[in-house]
Amino acid sequence: MKKIKFILLAAFFFLLSCATHYRWKIKLEIPGESALDLKPFQQIVITNFLIKKETRDIDLSKEIMDYFNFEIGQKYEGEISLKDISLKDEQVFEQDNFWKHLQDDAKKTLFFTGSAHYSEEVRKAILEKTRRRQYDEPFTSEKKLAERKFYTLQLDLYLIEAESGNPVYERSFKETQGYDNPNQTAYFAFFDLIQKVKEKFFRHLLGGERTEERYLIIE
Amino acid sequence: MVQNQLQFGIEAAQKDLWDEAIFRWKKVIAHHPQSAAAHNNLAVAYEKKGWWEEAKKEYEIALKLNPDNSYIESNYEKFKKNQELSKKEKTKNEKN
Repeated sequence: MKKIKFILLAAFFFLLSCATHYRWKIKLEIPGESALDLKPFQQIVITNFLIKKETRDIDLSKEIMDYFNFEIGQKYEGEISLKDISLKDEQVFEQDNFWKHLQDDAKKTLFFTGSAHYSEEVRKAILEKTRRRQYDEPFTSEKKLAERKFYTLQLDLYLIEAESGNPVYERSFKETQGYDNPNQTAYFAFFDLIQKVKEKFFRHLLGGERTEERYLIIE
Repeated sequence: MVQNQLQFGIEAAQKDLWDEAIFRWKKVIAHHPQSAAAHNNLAVAYEKKGWWEEAKKEYEIALKLNPDNSYIESNYEKFKKNQELSKKEKTKNEKN
């Protein structure tokens, strides 16, 4: 009986050693499911944006183009170029012939375009501040006029396939942010807002990343 | 050679050099298509790249070659779970 047990045990360890795998547990950032697969497209052409109302101190269309030229370049491996086109109204995003005729070469192209609206608003409010009592000083309160600047950026983004002229992705983003600082400029606020838009846009378009564990093995 | 290339690929992956890792593991498969480890590792690399179809294919080959390997099985289960989660998120995004 002891002999059999010994043989079984030896056989078990022999099989175990044969089946041994060297393995490495690694953590990796895995992208989530994207709304659109960019892989088939060889280039993205970023066009100027339709500006619903011109903004003082900032060339909105140029800033959006430059911003996304850099940011998309960080995520997309294909070619990216900029193109100035004539956008008359919102209807243009649905006109397939317009986009089909814009394609210059045989490369599979995606147009990144859209419309933008940027606004500034000053909101005023009377704030009542209670001061701490000191010694026998009577209870005092101060009324102050407070002003806050609010900026809102609305971007309607479209990704249009050049071959068919049809939008393959469209989504609206609206971001608002308030500032206590009365000297806050529209220019700097714009970058706070477009960064928020970018994060939501990329998360939606490319899918957010999540940390996962996997095994890499050697037999 | 196989062990070296597999190991080299793993070291590259650990340094986040996934293209290099893919190159190494593909090389292993070219010479030894029966290497379940290479197929498994390649599947992980494809997951990292977000190439879901390719990852699925490689996991399936790896499991077919070595159905009892608990590490491949664990990877594949996590891959499938991740895919389901992503699909749910996508549906949620589309509703919004």
